[in-house]
Amino acid sequence: MAAKKASPDLVNSSFSFKSLKLKTKQQELLLRVSILGLVYVLAFIARLFSVLRYESMIHEFDPYFNYRTTLFLTEKGFYEFWNWFDSESWYPLGRIIGGTLYPGLMVTAALIYWTLRFLRFFVHIREVCVLTAPFFASNTTLVAYFFGKEIWDTGAGLVAAALIAICPGYISRSVAGSYDNEAVAIFALLLTFYLFVKAVKTGSLSWALGSAFGYFYMVSAWGGYVFIINLVPLYVLVLLITGRYSMRLYVAYNCMYILGMLLAMQIRFVGFQHVQSGEHMAAMGVFLLMQVFYFLDWVKHQLNDTKLFQTFLRITVTSAILVGGIALGVGTASGYISPWTGRFYSLLDPTYAKDHIPIIASVSEHQPTAWSSFMFDYHILLFLFPAGLYFCFKRLSDATIFIVMYGLTSLYFAGVMVRLILVATPAVCLISAIAVSATVKNLTSLLRTKQKVPQTGSTKGVGSSKSSSKVTLDQSQPFHKNGAIALLVGVFYLLSRYAIHCTWVTSEAYSSPSIVLAARGAHGNRIIFDDYREAYYWLRQNTPTDAKVMSWWDYGYQITAMGNRTVIVDNNTWNNTHIATVGRAMSSYEDEAYDIMRSLDVNYVLVVFGGVTGYSSDDINKFLWMVRIGGGVYPVIKEPDYLVNGEFRVDKGASPKMLNCLMYKLCYYRFGELVTEYGKPTGYDRARGVEIGNKDIKLEHLEEAYTTSNWIVRIYRVKPPTNRL
Amino acid sequence: MAIDKKLLSLLLLVSSLSSIASASFSDPDSDSDLTNELASLRSNSESGVIHLDDHGISKFLISSPTPRPYSILLFFDATQLHSKTELRLQELRREFGLVSATFLANNNGSDLNKLFFCEIEFSRSQSSFQRFGVNALPHIRLVTGSTAKLSDESGQMDQSDFARLAESMAEFVEQRTKLTVGPIQRPPFLSKAQISVIVAMIVIATPFVIKRILRGETLLHDHRLWLSGAIFIYFFSVAGTMHNIIRKMPMFLQDRNDPNKLVFFYQGSGMQLGAEGFAVGFLYTVVGLLLAFVTNVLVRVRNLNVQRLVMLVALVVSSWAVKQVVYLDNWKTGYGIHPYWPSSWQ
Repeated sequence: MAAKKASPDLVNSSFSFKSLKLKTKQQELLLRVSILGLVYVLAFIARLFSVLRYESMIHEFDPYFNYRTTLFLTEKGFYEFWNWFDSESWYPLGRIIGGTLYPGLMVTAALIYWTLRFLRFFVHIREVCVLTAPFFASNTTLVAYFFGKEIWDTGAGLVAAALIAICPGYISRSVAGSYDNEAVAIFALLLTFYLFVKAVKTGSLSWALGSAFGYFYMVSAWGGYVFIINLVPLYVLVLLITGRYSMRLYVAYNCMYILGMLLAMQIRFVGFQHVQSGEHMAAMGVFLLMQVFYFLDWVKHQLNDTKLFQTFLRITVTSAILVGGIALGVGTASGYISPWTGRFYSLLDPTYAKDHIPIIASVSEHQPTAWSSFMFDYHILLFLFPAGLYFCFKRLSDATIFIVMYGLTSLYFAGVMVRLILVATPAVCLISAIAVSATVKNLTSLLRTKQKVPQTGSTKGVGSSKSSSKVTLDQSQPFHKNGAIALLVGVFYLLSRYAIHCTWVTSEAYSSPSIVLAARGAHGNRIIFDDYREAYYWLRQNTPTDAKVMSWWDYGYQITAMGNRTVIVDNNTWNNTHIATVGRAMSSYEDEAYDIMRSLDVNYVLVVFGGVTGYSSDDINKFLWMVRIGGGVYPVIKEPDYLVNGEFRVDKGASPKMLNCLMYKLCYYRFGELVTEYGKPTGYDRARGVEIGNKDIKLEHLEEAYTTSNWIVRIYRVKPPTNRL
Repeated sequence: MAIDKKLLSLLLLVSSLSSIASASFSDPDSDSDLTNELASLRSNSESGVIHLDDHGISKFLISSPTPRPYSILLFFDATQLHSKTELRLQELRREFGLVSATFLANNNGSDLNKLFFCEIEFSRSQSSFQRFGVNALPHIRLVTGSTAKLSDESGQMDQSDFARLAESMAEFVEQRTKLTVGPIQRPPFLSKAQISVIVAMIVIATPFVIKRILRGETLLHDHRLWLSGAIFIYFFSVAGTMHNIIRKMPMFLQDRNDPNKLVFFYQGSGMQLGAEGFAVGFLYTVVGLLLAFVTNVLVRVRNLNVQRLVMLVALVVSSWAVKQVVYLDNWKTGYGIHPYWPSSWQ
């Protein structure tokens, strides 16, 4: 749909507005602006499926934390927010919120909220949070347009805007309600890149300054800024190697790096990492290399003797590399420069995380990507990408080199981790847009030259060199026309399939909030399971305000945001030992777990259980990760104890340790009395499709406090110790 | 104890009859002699894997009384099957040696002589294979001190236990014997001497390379090289190769119901087989490159018929490839993607 909208600009511009008596240029401008306006609106409304299907609410896990902090920010002001020590999470350690988050998202939402209030629109902060992501997605389409215009031409820019507006890879993280850092970060990422490319192209200080501020915004919004600070130096390095060093590059990079670095240091969470962490050293190395290049240029200018210069060159370069290497070595050895973090390392050596850091490997969005995920998120863009690459190489410039590098590196990273498909999406859209735009432009200009319609407008500039080569082939005219029409029809057919695919995927796959679950009933009707919110509101209404709730870390943010109760661990995962303690408690026998819970002052234990509804991402299915993470710190927990012949089972054949550990008991307490499916024995677990092995569960130190209507969330009260005798 | 000894000597007699080579061995009077002998054999063999034959098996496993003071982890090898790469015998044997070497390096004192790593070869010890009841390879068997019957298959290492090579073998051993093997010490990819030579070469070459770079006449300035590299990275990523590497996915599986049939495509999103990814990645790349070729190269061709033909082929191939990929994707993920029509149209 959107892709179609982008193309009339190319076909119609010369004849459709004749009656309006606009000049060709004005017609083109009008078309361009209206197309952009439509794309802008489209990007916004395509992301509203989730609101239509469910309601205006915050999705998933992390967004609840963002929502809670935004609420705090709007209520207490920026100063309080910046100095916030949160004692309600990571009990008894607490968490310094101001120093351990990226505030960009919250500040952005708060600014929008305050602006709206200033304009006398009295909306609830939740609505602002829900709609922040679609709003920024719309803005991203604008940036994509300008970026496309910069690297190719206006046609490519329009197509890129249309493609990115509905690309599932981006929609997956920016539907209404997914109030997460990525929502604004992709906008910031693309903006920074665009401004940097512009700065390199023009050599202007103001664009470089803009790019530094874009970088600052990105740093304040998302940890993914590390990608920028590594890609940009890599790009500069490639330009240097391929002999494209220029004064423009020097100005752009130095200004962007130095200012961006100084600005980024203002974010407390990032602090001095730019000069201390190994992940940022590439940028500094390239910065120094630029100075060497500049210095050499100057010396070459001073020395007129080439031979003298050659010797000088050899000495300088060797000593520069030596000094740099020694400095890096000394810095690393003395501990001044910290080594790479696990997440970064696992990108370069993908097998690393699996063997060494279970807490990274356990997250489902850190899994490697299969081809079907690429297909699902990019659809035809994948076919167009190689063609786009080819076009870029045909017309190599500083800008196209950048987009090619951005596309290839991010595509590689997307292969390592599913979630990084998001980062690759803008690049894939831009390169594919080049392919579409260049193809369509070539073909239509071919058609029009046959019709002898004099036209200038949109084919001016780039495509002209190619089309002129075709015009000379007079004999092949009849074929050309047929072939061009066939190809055009093919391209438009593909684009319409893309639109259909995107719409379907957005509405069916990417719009579920995951806090409210939906299933199809036996008669095709929709059944809604709202158990999570039921449980959290129960906690809020029925427990003492200082109650501590222990659950697996996935639910920590939701409990603090919706239940308003203190949690032991949450999705921040900054303290592996603390999480391992909870993992150990969950996988120990009840009396051992009781001691751990007493030591953490736990009052309630919350588990998520899908045995009644068949909900498969429940705590039993996550249990092995609890064992692994717990065992990583406390060797008394051993994974083989919970397995039978390497198999994870919950039925009669399960290992005795499994059948009596706390998690099993809490999930299956009283489950043995329940008939879940017709024709099956009692205690039939629908999520795993087996009859459970321990139906007679007795709890000694805990008692059931609340179980939601579909048994998805179960809450237990920890009994106080019995009187001493 | 006396009865034990009698029984032992009787068994010894039987076993010594079965092989002439026994003369070279000293008479093992007690368990410790056997253990010492094994230890000396081990010290003479590469990475501590003792090569046993029929005689050795009978001596150390059959004739020795249970409970033996040692366990033996036995690798069943067959030289004639080394050519069948899908069995991975040689690779597994190498990994087996690694586990053995690691065990030797990480243990000393009493634990060291509680476990011995041995191998037997089919062509020279066929009767032992029969005794163990082994008729399929790869096969690794742990014979613990208490195992009385050799045909007892409880000590067999499952397929899953050597799926992750040495690491999982070590886990298996640690689990069954309660001994520690420790982290596997793989030999470094490059030895120290090699690394220093490479570093020296790089240092020497740097000034020359830089000189050439400044002149602008390296391979790096060739567009075609960069283009093919770029296409390769694209292919590498979208084919899910990283997924195959990280998950160590095989190229294809054998059908469970019909062993002669091979499964190339795995149903279910989030998982893929090696060949499957490459096939689809290839289809993606072909369509993209054809598009570029048709719009950029073909138009320069002078011959009209060639042009027509190539165009037709390109169109047919592309539409087939797109159809195929979309069909495969729908089949794999189980989604039926369809357009939404206004409800009044239905």
